[in-house]
This record gives sequence, structure tokens and C-alpha cells, in this order.
Amino acid sequence: MSMRLNHLVVSHADSTLVDVGTLDFERGRPVTIVGESGSGKSLLAHAIMGTLPANLTARGSLAMDGQTFDLSDRANRRGLWGRLMSLLPQEPTLALDPTMRAQEQVAEGATSFTTDSSGARRTAGTLLAALGLGHASRAFPHTLSGGMAQRVAFAAATIGGAPVLIADEPSKGLDERARTELAGLLKLHLDGGGILLTITHDLDLARELGGDVLVMKDAHVVEQGCARQVLTEPAHPYTRRLLEAEPANWNHAWARRGAPPEEGGTALVSGEGLSKAFGGQQLFSDLSVTIRAGERVSLGGPSGSGKTTLGNVLLRLLPPDAGYVHHAVALRGGRLQKLYQDPALAFPARVALRDPFGDVIRRHRLEPARLEELMASLGLTPALLNRRPGQVSGGELQRLAIIRAMLLEPALVFADEPTSRLDLITQELTVACLMDQVDRHGCALVLVTHDYALANAVAGRRIPLGVAVTERLVQGAGTPV
Amino acid sequence: MAPFDTGRTGVETGKPAQGGPPALPLVPAARRRLVPGTAVQGVAAALLAVLVLFALIGPLAWPDHAVQDLSRFLEAPSLAEPLGRDHLGRSVVARLAHATQLSLMMAIACVGTALLVGTTGALIAAWRGGSIETALNGLSEAFIALPALLVILIFSALANGDLWTLYAGLALSQWVEYFRMVRARSALVLAGPAVEAAGLLRLGPVHVMRRHLWPDLRPLLTTMATFGIGSSILALSTLGFVGIGVRPPTPELGLMITEAFPYYHEAPWMSLAPVLVLSTILIGLLSLRSKEARQ
Repeated sequence: MSMRLNHLVVSHADSTLVDVGTLDFERGRPVTIVGESGSGKSLLAHAIMGTLPANLTARGSLAMDGQTFDLSDRANRRGLWGRLMSLLPQEPTLALDPTMRAQEQVAEGATSFTTDSSGARRTAGTLLAALGLGHASRAFPHTLSGGMAQRVAFAAATIGGAPVLIADEPSKGLDERARTELAGLLKLHLDGGGILLTITHDLDLARELGGDVLVMKDAHVVEQGCARQVLTEPAHPYTRRLLEAEPANWNHAWARRGAPPEEGGTALVSGEGLSKAFGGQQLFSDLSVTIRAGERVSLGGPSGSGKTTLGNVLLRLLPPDAGYVHHAVALRGGRLQKLYQDPALAFPARVALRDPFGDVIRRHRLEPARLEELMASLGLTPALLNRRPGQVSGGELQRLAIIRAMLLEPALVFADEPTSRLDLITQELTVACLMDQVDRHGCALVLVTHDYALANAVAGRRIPLGVAVTERLVQGAGTPV
Repeated sequence: MAPFDTGRTGVETGKPAQGGPPALPLVPAARRRLVPGTAVQGVAAALLAVLVLFALIGPLAWPDHAVQDLSRFLEAPSLAEPLGRDHLGRSVVARLAHATQLSLMMAIACVGTALLVGTTGALIAAWRGGSIETALNGLSEAFIALPALLVILIFSALANGDLWTLYAGLALSQWVEYFRMVRARSALVLAGPAVEAAGLLRLGPVHVMRRHLWPDLRPLLTTMATFGIGSSILALSTLGFVGIGVRPPTPELGLMITEAFPYYHEAPWMSLAPVLVLSTILIGLLSLRSKEARQ
């Protein structure tokens, strides 16, 4: 079978959100759409599935196996779901039903589920075992790691045997190893003669998948072609811009690639003999860490290795099982700040942003002009403050979080995966804003990230975490990068 | 599992994108709340307003709810007596006005007390944790184990139907739900990164209360209180109906229904009037509530 998308236009009121010409999909050849958030790439996937939000209108047609579907009718593809086309949702941990065991929810996707539920359950069990999840088939989603949840979601999306699989930002929040696993899964689907459309802002995933790559910007496809060619010799300036935004290719004044670890600064945070276990799993033991003034350290390791936990222990937000953490006097009075992975959760959800910022200014008797000055220098308009956190894009909100932290002129900023949910260009902008401020105030930075390239570009030394290094003593200098 | 989950598409559609296509028009949250409700809610609000007016002005217009005139036994409605007279020749409209006032005032007092006690206890428990939380939690569980009616009965047995015992019994049976809802909700908010960030910014408890907890709890509490007023009025009239509520000379909706029962054939207006008031209050409150739920 083959699939062809003809002149899809998605619009809202007067603005066009997606406008693409003809796209052909073949069995066994992956198609990957890359682009920044808001370029319309997710909408394209949902327009094909027929799952667009009701306030958007679509035009165009989809030809599959000689049948033609009018894309303006949302309902006509509903019968194909699961049997002919299925969607691998983003953030599988949120898409899975938290109250159902893995095997049960995978079984519900089988076409035979209504007639033969025990057979469907058996099929689901076999499928999960084939994906290396045989031991976890009775597990609830919250006990699974991000990569495992992704495999369960993959099983649920493919159990119906749909030849067309659409993956919407499947690598969001996954570390390198889980991403390689994911690429393996998607290739498995291709090897079975399936059609694959992947929407992502992760260029590494696009590279691993190969096939065709389409670059989308402002609702249009600006460049398309074979993955190897587009991602190594881009023709369009926007694609070049996209490639330059990868941390490995950054070239900023603050990038400290290969810089020797700083010595001699006063110790701001020193932890000795730290141990912490969660749910029977020892995350780290007898770990000693010192963070000095003005230093830039990255905390790295695969997801689940205890990066965030170690950070919270060092921030004294969480007590260690053993050992102690000492904070220097310089950190008192709010001079130790934290940036969060999801900035939308770091602000009170139901009030306009003006209120929390106003409270910081009043509480610490700051000049209101300083907020305006910082906002201007980070390229944000004051009107953003009238919105609630949920109404501001992730990149802008993270920059607002940086401003909030910088208002108190901190001596140490702890950034917990601050850009892992952002697309490449927004990530570069956000990190540039952060590093600019860190440089200006000479404050120390601890960056938690699973992205080795990002850690490499930003930090002077790296504290690796993970099963292999748990027993290792990471003292003072750590591992120079 | 929903393989076709579209819940997250809003991320790409609803928010203004950086350097991307023009943002979709966003309706600011504040304005959204000012959008007038549906016609049903308008009617409900109007009906409730009429009833409140009746409860406020009625007792002044018809002050003599206890004056008996046996010669005017079961008199039919007239211009001077819009709801006629009951089996003891008392003015039904005067009794109805006093009963409505009593029901509304009692319900508001009970819900107000339960809300205040429950919320305060819950905030203390969620904020302080430790043994205080364990103790308050145990107390609330003990109250959940007791049927609400039993609590009220025990209290009314204490002082034989005095108003304050009814008030105390109703409030005591209701504070638990506020306690448990608010504790669960605020524990979630207090454990979140937003409050952690506020702690690192040294913003203090007033900020957490005002910006984090209150905006989150307010819609919840409004919904619960609207429900609570309805169920208090119903509970009060149920108690009156079975004869263990307010003592007889005092007009009360449930009591009036019971008293009118034997005469429903000769004087249907007598039993219909309190039933009508009761159902209007309940339906009005429920129709108003849907506005909060949709927020």
C-alpha cells in the first residue's frame, strides 16, 4: 500500500497553520518532519489522523490504497484507527492509563478485543515480551521508566497491525539510550513493511531513522530530501540555522569547551558521604560533591540515575539517607535558586505572572525597573506578565523563570533539565539567556542534563551519575570534560 | 490507553509560538470568567434572588406567624392572604417567610462554620504535617465513620431541638468533607515545584496562601459550599419532617410539609408552598453550581 497527502491546509480564523503540497509515503521508508514548536508539524500529523482540535479547519485529501479521504471531514478516518493508521502519542507516561496494567491496556488496542478478549490479552503479552517487557506486563505505568512506557505505548499503537504509524514527538523527555531504543522500535515497524511518519524536533532521532526528512517552518515545508543530505548539507538557510542550534555545534563566548576545572573558589555547597535510596534502589552512596563559587558543573546520567535527587539533596530540599550538606553563608537570603524542567509548574498556575513577580519585588525590596530591564534584555515583552503560566510558551516561560531567579542575584543557580522540553532553536536561545546572566553575575551553575553535548558546551566539569559510577568518589574536581 | 490521544495538541496550537506563525487568539482567563452564564443560570440566579428577598422582607411584611384564628380554619388564598390559612388559622405566607429565612440563615451559618473549620484544619494539617496531621486525620476519619444523621440526632437529643444544637450538629457533620478535600488538594499544591520555588525565593507563607493555595481552592470551595447549602436546607427540613428538628411553634419548611399532610385534599396550597420553596432553592443552587464546575 501507499499513502499520499494532497495539498493539506490547516487554518484557524485567518491564519494558516499548515500549508503543504503533495507528500508521498512508501512502505519501509521513514518520513521525518523536523522543525521548531509552532511550525505546524504536529498539526500535520493530527490532520492526517483526523484528530485536529475542533476550532481548526483542514482542507485537502488523503489517498490510501485507492481510497480517497476528504481531510475536512474529521470523522471519515475514525474507522481506520488501530487497523490502518495509529498514533504513537508524545509523553507516553501521560498517554497511558494510570489505572490499568500494561498488558490490559495494550490488549484493548487489538482488533479482536471485543470478540475475544483473552486472545487479545495473550497477543498483548506476546507483543510485550517481544519488546523485552515480559516482566513488566502486569506493571502499572507509574512504575515504568520513560523508555519502558514508550515501549508499552508502542505496543498499544501497533497491536492492531496498522501499517501507518504516526509518531508525534516520540523522543520528548527520553535520554540517549531510550532514544536509540525508540529508533529501534520504529525501525521494527518499518521492517514489517509499515509506513512511518515521525514528527520531532530531535535531529539525532531523524538521523537515526534515515529515510526522508522534511523541514517545516511557519506552516510550510522549506526543505525536503534524503535525511543524510538534508542533515549534513542543508540547502535552506533555516535548516542550516536548525543544525547550528544543536549544542554540539554551538559557538558562543560562554561555551567553555575543554576549559580546565576552576580551582580555588570558596565552596558554596559541600556534601560529604551522601547516600540516597528510593524504593529499594540505591541511587548513590558515599558521594562527596563540592560546588565552588563561579563554577559551572553538569550533573549527567541516564534518566532514573538520581540526578534530580542529588540536586535536591545538595539544595537541602531533600534529606540524604546518610552524610550531610553544608551551605556557605553566601547562599542565605534566597541567593540559591533553581530552574525547573517544566517552567509551567514552577509558577502559581492560576494567577497572572504579574503577581508572583510583584511578590518577589516587594518581598526583597527590589527596583521594579530591574524586572523591566531584565525582560528587555532577554527579549520578552512586558505584556507577557498579564498572562497565566499556561498561556505562555515553554521557551518564554523558562526565560521568565531565569529572570525570576536572577532578580535575587544568586550565588548559585541549579538548573534541572531546563531545556529538555524545548526545541533546538528555543533551547539555544534559552541557554544563551541563562549563560549571559550567569556570566554577568558571576554566579555558579549546576546544570542537570542527560544531553551530553549540552553539558559539554556549558559546563567546565561533569559529575556523572549512574549505576556504574555509584561507588565512585566524585570529589572536588570531578571529571574534567 | 488511548492510542489517539490528542490532549497534548494544545501545546502546539493554543500557545503563541516563538518566531512561528501568528499566535492563535487567546482569551485571557479573567475575561473568560466574566462571560455571562447560560440562560438557565440566569433564571436560577433570578429565582434565588427572589427567594432571598422573600426571606429578608417577608418576615417584616407578615410578622405574625404564630397568631391563631380558628374561625379562619383552612381559609383559601385571597389577596390579603396570598397562601391562605392553615389548620390552626395561621397565615401560611407569614409562616413560609419565616421558615425560608430560618432555613437560609441556618444553612449559611452551618456551611460557613464547616468551611472555616474544615479549611483551617486542613491547611494546618497539610502545612505542618507530622503528628498534627495524624491527629486531625484520625478525627476526620472518626467523623466519617459516624453517619451524619446520627451526629445531628445525638446533638438534638442533648438539648431537645434547640436551634443551636441543630446548627452544631449540621456543622459538625459537614466540616469533614471540607477538611478532606482541602487537605488533599493543598498537599498536592504545597508539594509542587511552584511552592518549592517560592520557598527558595523566600516569599513566605502569605504569598503561598494568596497566590498558590487560595486561587486553587477557591473554585473547589465555591462548588462545595453551594452544594453544602442545598444539602443543609434539605437536612434541616428532613429533620423537621420526621419531627426531630425545630420545635413546632417555630415555622420550618419540613415541619410545614408534615403539618399540611392531613389537609392536602382540602388545602393543597398549604403543602405545595413549602415544597415549592424547597425545590426552588435546591434547583437554583444546583443550576448555579454548573458554572463553577465548568471553569
